[in-house]
Amino acid sequence: MSIAFIDNLDLSVISTVFGSTVPIAPQIVIILAAILSPAIYLLTKKGKAVGLFALLMIVISGILTGVMIAQGENFYGEYAGLFAFDPFSGLMMLLFLAVAFITVLASLNYSEMTKYKGEYYALILGATAGMMFVAGSSNLLTIFVGVEVVSIASYAMVALKKNDPRAAEAGFKYMVIGAISTALTLFGMSMLYGVTGTLVINEIGPVINGLGFTMPVVIGLVSIIAGYGFKIAAVPFHMWAPDVYEGAATPVSGFLATGSKKMGFVALFKIFIVLFVLASTNLAESMQWTFAVIAAITMTVGNLVAISQTNIKRMLAYSSIAQAGYILIALAVMSQYAMQGAMFHMFTHVFMKAGAFVIVAALITAGLGERIEDYRGLAKRAPFMAFAMLLFLFSLAGIPPLAGFTSKFVLFSSAIYVDGAVVTDWIWLALVAILNSAISLYYYARVVKAMYIETGESQEKVKVKGVYTFTVLLCVIGVIVLGVYPGPLLELIGQAAGDLISKIPL
Amino acid sequence: MMLEYVWLTPLIPLLCFVIIGFFGNKMPEGGGYVAIFGALVAFVVSLVASYEYVTGDLFAISLPFVQEMNWLTIGTYEINFGVYIDSLSCVMMLFASFISLMIFVYSVGYMGHEEKKRRRYYAEVSLFLTGMMGLVISSNYLEMFVFWEIMGLCSYLLIGFWSFKHGEGDAASQNAASAAKKAFIVTRLGDVCFMAGLFILLNEFHSLDYAIVFAQANIAAVDPTALTVATLLIFAGAVGKSAQFPLHDWLPDAMAGPTTVSALIHAATMVKGGVYLVARSFPIFVQNPDVMILVAFIGGFTAIFAASMALNNMNIKRVLAYSTLSQLGYMFLALGAGGYLMAIGMQTGNNDLIALGALGYVAGVFHMINHAFFKALLFLGSGSVIHSAGTEDMRKMGGLGKKMKITSITMLIGSLSIAGFPLLSGFWSKDLVLETALAPAQHGLGAEWTFTALFIMGIVTAFMTAFYMFRMWFMTFRGKEGEATRHAHGESPKTMTVPLIILAVFAVGSGLGILFGLSNAITESLSCTLGYLHIHTHTGMTIAEDIFTNVWTYVSIVLTLLGICLGWLMYCKKSVDPGRFNKNGESRFYRLLTKRYYFPQIYNAISWKLGYGVAKGVDYMDKEVIDGTVNGLSNAVVGTGDSLSAVQTGNLNNYAAWVYTGVIVLVAIVVAVFIVNGGI
Repeated sequence: MSIAFIDNLDLSVISTVFGSTVPIAPQIVIILAAILSPAIYLLTKKGKAVGLFALLMIVISGILTGVMIAQGENFYGEYAGLFAFDPFSGLMMLLFLAVAFITVLASLNYSEMTKYKGEYYALILGATAGMMFVAGSSNLLTIFVGVEVVSIASYAMVALKKNDPRAAEAGFKYMVIGAISTALTLFGMSMLYGVTGTLVINEIGPVINGLGFTMPVVIGLVSIIAGYGFKIAAVPFHMWAPDVYEGAATPVSGFLATGSKKMGFVALFKIFIVLFVLASTNLAESMQWTFAVIAAITMTVGNLVAISQTNIKRMLAYSSIAQAGYILIALAVMSQYAMQGAMFHMFTHVFMKAGAFVIVAALITAGLGERIEDYRGLAKRAPFMAFAMLLFLFSLAGIPPLAGFTSKFVLFSSAIYVDGAVVTDWIWLALVAILNSAISLYYYARVVKAMYIETGESQEKVKVKGVYTFTVLLCVIGVIVLGVYPGPLLELIGQAAGDLISKIPL
Repeated sequence: MMLEYVWLTPLIPLLCFVIIGFFGNKMPEGGGYVAIFGALVAFVVSLVASYEYVTGDLFAISLPFVQEMNWLTIGTYEINFGVYIDSLSCVMMLFASFISLMIFVYSVGYMGHEEKKRRRYYAEVSLFLTGMMGLVISSNYLEMFVFWEIMGLCSYLLIGFWSFKHGEGDAASQNAASAAKKAFIVTRLGDVCFMAGLFILLNEFHSLDYAIVFAQANIAAVDPTALTVATLLIFAGAVGKSAQFPLHDWLPDAMAGPTTVSALIHAATMVKGGVYLVARSFPIFVQNPDVMILVAFIGGFTAIFAASMALNNMNIKRVLAYSTLSQLGYMFLALGAGGYLMAIGMQTGNNDLIALGALGYVAGVFHMINHAFFKALLFLGSGSVIHSAGTEDMRKMGGLGKKMKITSITMLIGSLSIAGFPLLSGFWSKDLVLETALAPAQHGLGAEWTFTALFIMGIVTAFMTAFYMFRMWFMTFRGKEGEATRHAHGESPKTMTVPLIILAVFAVGSGLGILFGLSNAITESLSCTLGYLHIHTHTGMTIAEDIFTNVWTYVSIVLTLLGICLGWLMYCKKSVDPGRFNKNGESRFYRLLTKRYYFPQIYNAISWKLGYGVAKGVDYMDKEVIDGTVNGLSNAVVGTGDSLSAVQTGNLNNYAAWVYTGVIVLVAIVVAVFIVNGGI
């Protein structure tokens, strides 16, 4: 991206302030915010003040990341040999910051959150910092630590809705399954370390390449898939997701579905990117098939089970499982183009899924239930919310010209041709994905039908708080703009994917 | 001048959609005048742009007008967004915007009592028009698909506009909501195939631009099998959208929407999208004669199949719905038969065959234009009747002709036209369709049985059409006054009757266009892509000469007149009792028709039992079988009988067990793939 205005800006002040820590400057801002949040709450006793402070810091961090990407060459670099700021990590940081922004905005007025405001925002910010560290990591250990930061914060966030026993239950389940996954991941990483003697991702590649197919490597990689499969809610590591999304406060569910899940993908991309380059070896082929099988099963199970859900949060949970299946196509195909598709879908998914969750949150705050039948006649009671929901759901189903269609198009087509050459191995996967998105229309249309065509018992107008309308409007704009004019973002994504792959030594 | 601004045709209605959506409630008629204005501008722009194109240099040398800008770049593939104007897009633009304009004007009267809901109505129909205009001027398949889906979405919303139950009509589909959903999901089935077809095209051509996909050199370079598969998939998309057998069943149910919407869907937009898709894709369809013959047979079969269901239906709108299906079948028959001849001609280098094929193409497109006029007229007329009589059941009508002079006369003109009464518009195109089916036999090219079969389907349908249209007309406007007639309000307001009169003029006259070079203009679209310059050997008067020197034309005229007579005898003069033929509604065939050949049931069985059943099953598997099995296992292993109550939530242990099972399965997959690939 070359906007002359930003290019010419003198940003040496950033280097002066942050010194050698420039590559992790955006994270530092967020960590500062996380530390200060409880303090501000103690001083002001106002939840909203903390929320606004958090928003401010997220925006600062976002602007910082933005200008750092725009002036690329001046800021790309490494910190302590552990974290790097490059086009890929910069873009992913922006993604996570966007998620945090939407989540905080949606939490400002949320009724399910009675107290613990200071802690709540600190947890969100802490988790966001963790996700950003994962995006910047160039070392297995830092990825692991980053993911753990997010996980531990999320357990607490889920359980924070103290007046609801479902939340405590969900938090507990989430933590137990999370602990198992952590153990698996750590086991996998130690296997890799045992075989290769290094934790630096770029150094692991050549060693594995030299070794070829050995059981320790296979077990190591599969354990890591399982560990992060939990984060992305891939079948069969998905079972926690519906319970947790249903039990947690709705903004938290949105955060998990859009932020934490994307982090899982970033971690998988980082670790398996090595294989992208080695894609012709036996090992890579085996891993590709593994991912393909997970992808196909994940999207199919997610979509089919979603059909029979009656609670909208559970339905959205299964729909997110299905979306994870789509994104997994990139790991099966393992091409730069597929990776672009996946990253693009990650971006569009943030807006459509977070938007849907924010609407659910807004309606819960306004006194509506969580069941789909509670949405009957919503088009009359809250026309904007209903229309936005329609856009989000149709975008999730992949109906043009909304964002979900454009990104699915790129993603699915990547299964058929790989960087200019036709590959026939994955056509079946593209077909499974297309069929799945046709199936998904069924349960999305059901909600639209409830909102627009059926009539409910109550005809009263629903009063939606202004901040929700604003948040939803932001997501609507995202869903439309990314659908109609995806060019600039795709260009950035292309650059990021290219950069990530070009750095792999062989 | 205007040609460069042709993108305004979808954009203006889109703006109207936004304006009405936001401010409709504050405007007179809920924004109806804005919608009319939008359609008017779209029509004027189409008219001027078409005039410029047809009189311009590009048309003279058989080239399309193309304007594109980059939309998105993915990998090495560039997807553009732009306009592609040739004679086919011109005629489509013209009739779609003109008929929409008529329908919008008519809506002011018809939807007048809808109060606040009018805003939604006018916003949605404007978006509908956007979809159709965008569809016909798109410069590539992906862009077309985007507009195609916008139309699908609008049809979904509009069919469900009245979500209360209709008292009349088939029991299977009384609910507008379920009709809307059915329309959306059934056409979606076609869309999925369409999209898969697009992937194959993109894969083969590395582009979806018409200019590239239709270039003969590019077509020659790609794998013919892949192209055949792609065309079949694209055709499946057309079958869904144009409601051809076996995806036809959503269209009769779609009658649950307001009548104006039915007119819009049947005459100007939506279902014409499928025909347009095949006509547009002609250059790739003609690469394989087998695909074309399939198109022709699907069309021919739908024509006769749908006409049979119109024979005994008592609902005035449904009769028209079945007739749309049947007429769309005609269009596919013509396109398919023409395409087959052209495909054979291209393979053998026989120019006569290519010219005959072009004639079939003309017949299909021409019938689409004429059908747009008379079907819009008939639907709006039936709307006028329903508006006045307050029912859709023809048994309760009868004798309405005295109370509604203009409606009854315009409907008579529409019925004569669709039945193919000589010199009215339907006559020209219908006989051109039949002419195409006869062509091989008449030009000594060997009368293949396939074409004989197509001709028989066509001519039998012609007889049935004349009969059921006049059954409808006599039942509604003549005979004894029905129960609803007595309470009827009389003639509809001017804003409804004026569009009827205008459309009636076109239903009489649009067919004459063929005498004045319309066929040349239409074939020019093929010349643009196929490279055979000016393939029209059948021009103006020669077509008329062909039609009137052909003995079969007179056979079809006689059959038409017989059909009309039979309708008159049975439902006006009542000297022939219809009950004699169907054992008073007890015969098996009669019931088969009323039940729509059990298609709704078949659909339900498939979608419910299979789709929902599978979903239920998977859910059951997820909850019961898998959890249950793991429970059983863990019980056996751990030896505790109360593992279920050990954890409050019941199944956390199963989740954990699944994580480990997953790991083991994944390792197994990795090793298995490795071994299969010949490792170790």
